[in-house]
Amino acid sequence: MSSINPECTKLKKEYDECFNSWYVDSFLKGKKSNKCDELFKEYRACILKTLKEKKIDTLIEESIKNSTLNKKK
Amino acid sequence: MVKWFKQTTNLKHSWEQLSLAMWSKYPNPHSSHVVTSDVVDRYVDPNTGYLYTTRLFLKRGNIPKWGRKLLNNNEAYVIEHSICKPNEGSMIISTKNLSHAKLMLIEETQKFIKKDEENTTLVTKARITSNIWGPLCSRIENFGLKKMREGTINSCNGLLYVVEKLKSSKNAIALSNSLKALK
Repeated sequence: MSSINPECTKLKKEYDECFNSWYVDSFLKGKKSNKCDELFKEYRACILKTLKEKKIDTLIEESIKNSTLNKKK
Repeated sequence: MVKWFKQTTNLKHSWEQLSLAMWSKYPNPHSSHVVTSDVVDRYVDPNTGYLYTTRLFLKRGNIPKWGRKLLNNNEAYVIEHSICKPNEGSMIISTKNLSHAKLMLIEETQKFIKKDEENTTLVTKARITSNIWGPLCSRIENFGLKKMREGTINSCNGLLYVVEKLKSSKNAIALSNSLKALK
């Protein structure tokens, strides 16, 4: 599945792959690991630019802030 | 006026398999309307071990003739917030459209709850609201409700397709084996 910015799709796929194995091998087993953090940072930086350009970055931030499924208040 | 929707389904797959499939749900043959998908925020709470995720989707849909005057494009951004609680075997996902929200806001909550090693309960709830004045309001809400009913079946079929794909695809065999080892 493509990213909102096609230029970030490669980074997204690398991150998704890392995340899926982290999810099964660490997260579900209750093991701590931050092996995908660097990949996520890189991928996120890539899409943030596009979210700003499309002016949906503030809508997203607000939604995160107001969601009951969120810890960051 | 607000329209409500609720549905409970039993899925014959483990909670672990379904929650993994949720992360790789798109693309699937039942979701040609989903154009892009991105993780925009994600973290694990160090105290509880819960995983918090926010994803953004771009979806494209068909607008009925009567609605074309109200909408100038058929694309919408949809945001999804979720909490995944591995020790409780539960995953809560809430979704809503960011675009055209005054015209029609669909807020959906899905809960995947572990029943036993091979069964998971899925509870879907949705609220459909339109802020348009006059008789069109109820027409829009009824349209949303109809779309919601169809969408829930499609979404479930899509997820089950991904579960099967994860079980059989070469790349996912390692993941699948790890899932089996969890039991």
